[in-house]
Amino acid sequence: MAFLELHGLTKRYGTITAVDSMTLNVEKNSFVSLLGPSGCGKTTTLQMVAGFETPTEGRILLNGRDLSAIPARERGLGIVFQSYALFMHMTVAENVAFGLEMRKVGKAERARRVAAALDLVHLSHLADRYPRAMSGGQRQRVALARALVIEPELLLLDEPLSNLDAKLREEMQLELRRIQREAGVTTLMVTHDQSEALAMSDRVVVMERGHLRQEDAPFEVYEQPGSLFVSNFLGKSNVYDARLIAADATGSRLVVAGREIAGPAGVTLPPGDVALVLRPERVEVVAPDAALIEGRVIERIFFGNQWLLRAGTPFGEMLISRRNSGRAEAAVGDRIGLGWEAHHIRVLPREEARA
Amino acid sequence: MRNGVFAKLCCLVFAAFMLAPIVVVVGVSFTPTGFLEFPPSGISLRWFRAILDAPEFIEGGWISLKLGVISATLAAVIAVPAALAIGRGRFRGREALLALFMSPLMVPTVVLGIAFLRFLTVVGLSGTFTGLALCHAVIILPFVLRLVLASISGLDRATERAAESLGAGGWTVFRRVTLPAIVPGILGGWVLAFITSFDELTVSVFIVNPSTTTLPVRLYSHIAQTTDPLVASVSTVTILFTVVLMIVVDRFYGLDRLLIGEGKK
Ligand SMILES: Nc1ncnc2c1ncn2[C@@H]1O[C@H](COP(=O)(O)OP(=O)(O)OP(=O)(O)O)[C@@H](O)[C@H]1O
Ligand SMILES: [Mg+2]
Repeated sequence: MAFLELHGLTKRYGTITAVDSMTLNVEKNSFVSLLGPSGCGKTTTLQMVAGFETPTEGRILLNGRDLSAIPARERGLGIVFQSYALFMHMTVAENVAFGLEMRKVGKAERARRVAAALDLVHLSHLADRYPRAMSGGQRQRVALARALVIEPELLLLDEPLSNLDAKLREEMQLELRRIQREAGVTTLMVTHDQSEALAMSDRVVVMERGHLRQEDAPFEVYEQPGSLFVSNFLGKSNVYDARLIAADATGSRLVVAGREIAGPAGVTLPPGDVALVLRPERVEVVAPDAALIEGRVIERIFFGNQWLLRAGTPFGEMLISRRNSGRAEAAVGDRIGLGWEAHHIRVLPREEARA
Repeated sequence: MRNGVFAKLCCLVFAAFMLAPIVVVVGVSFTPTGFLEFPPSGISLRWFRAILDAPEFIEGGWISLKLGVISATLAAVIAVPAALAIGRGRFRGREALLALFMSPLMVPTVVLGIAFLRFLTVVGLSGTFTGLALCHAVIILPFVLRLVLASISGLDRATERAAESLGAGGWTVFRRVTLPAIVPGILGGWVLAFITSFDELTVSVFIVNPSTTTLPVRLYSHIAQTTDPLVASVSTVTILFTVVLMIVVDRFYGLDRLLIGEGKK
């Protein structure tokens, strides 16, 4: 039995199905991310766990206990809202103390626990400040301390970092993960930022239009996407229409744009139309005689630690990402040889283009 | 900005029309002569001293002050729950309810005055201070309601949910989170309502009796009989009082927020 279990959780608003029969198990002390594009039902799922939305169907079990009849204020969960939702008329210490006050924790004990929580988020020196006089990152930490001080069984985070600028966001990702480990609290986080989900979580849950599409460890979801949607949502992908002509335990054969190429082993799809997926970082720029295909560079973008090349190839356009090794990269208009290893190809079912 | 010149001109004309009467009134009140003259031929406090010998104005001032405080408070007490229901609720007739509360702004004040006169007679409150205060509360309710509504719609629902998730019950959430967040709106609305009540004339003319005559009604009937600079000096004192009130509000709350609904940064 998992610590948090969602069973066929469904939420309908009139004719809109915001969340469609979600079933998910979250292990104790793990950090799980709900990841998906805008409007896919992440917040709605979180709100149902929090108790602010009533599920249309399905059940939520926390530690074996059915939550449906328990109102939000008695669930004892720690929640960090996207807007942080701090009490603006209270100081940082008062904000953090609020949950303890509600629990009728004695004054001395309260002061001790508030101090410990502020210490955990490195904000002890700002205990007497008002939130309006704080930066976004500091407010975020106050919200976190306020949620953690009640020692919740479960921590719910709704896009906790989306209001921060890129640099601070990266710092806070590490910080948040450290705090979560130190506090040892099971955490469910909503995000639409795939790199955030990959960097922070033990498990990533990819959602699309109310459905759970895939649930796996970050490395697995990235390397073994179960569908084109997941593959495209996590990182960049080159996707080409292909035909699978043979597949067995040792390898497979694919036809792309009239050329036959070697594919990975263990493809379980039946022969026929498939989608071929190749990550930009798995494509190598090689000498022309060793190349699988040739390409001409159309665009070259520099990211500091890496280059991104866009090349026209017989397959169609291909993105190639290259680590910056200190040497100048192929320039626009250059002809380059491209190669990859067969086991880096992913073969997935075709999907209809979706609006 | 393309139409900058025209816009500036409009503002200038508008400001001139707003300020000119005030300048004239204040100027006139310092005249040493016995008639309204502008610009005054000298500077004298004669007509300010005269206020002290006119107990009816002082008494009218007290009545208006008391009336303003009581009716604005009454309006605020009604407006807060009403605004919460209208701003938050999803019940049928919400719009109609709002329109009803706002209707005193739409109905011509003369009509209101006559209606209140009849109504107070029917319920046996005619000529009483209570009746007067009730009528004022109705007239100024829209001002409080509007400001409280604005502050409620600007309130992040998530803060209340946060309090709830931390274990607070409905009443605690309201007392500890919602109310403190909308207090500025309530205070702002109260002040606006107070000022509106303080210088309300049209309705009051119909429903005051000699023992409840407010300052504006006093001034009005005084002008009807004589035109000495006493009205100007009383007005100047009133203007001064209002300005001081505005400064106090601006100190604590921000006038721009009160009048436009924009917060001080
Ligand atoms: N109260 C509501 N009434 C009607 N529809 C709603 C309501 N709340 C959410 N929805 C709909 O449910 C769907 C899922 O919304 P939800 O807020 O869960 O998305 P999300 O994944 O959190 O998106 P985002 O990343 O933009 O926050 C959306 O299509 C949304 O329009
Ligand atoms: Mg959301």
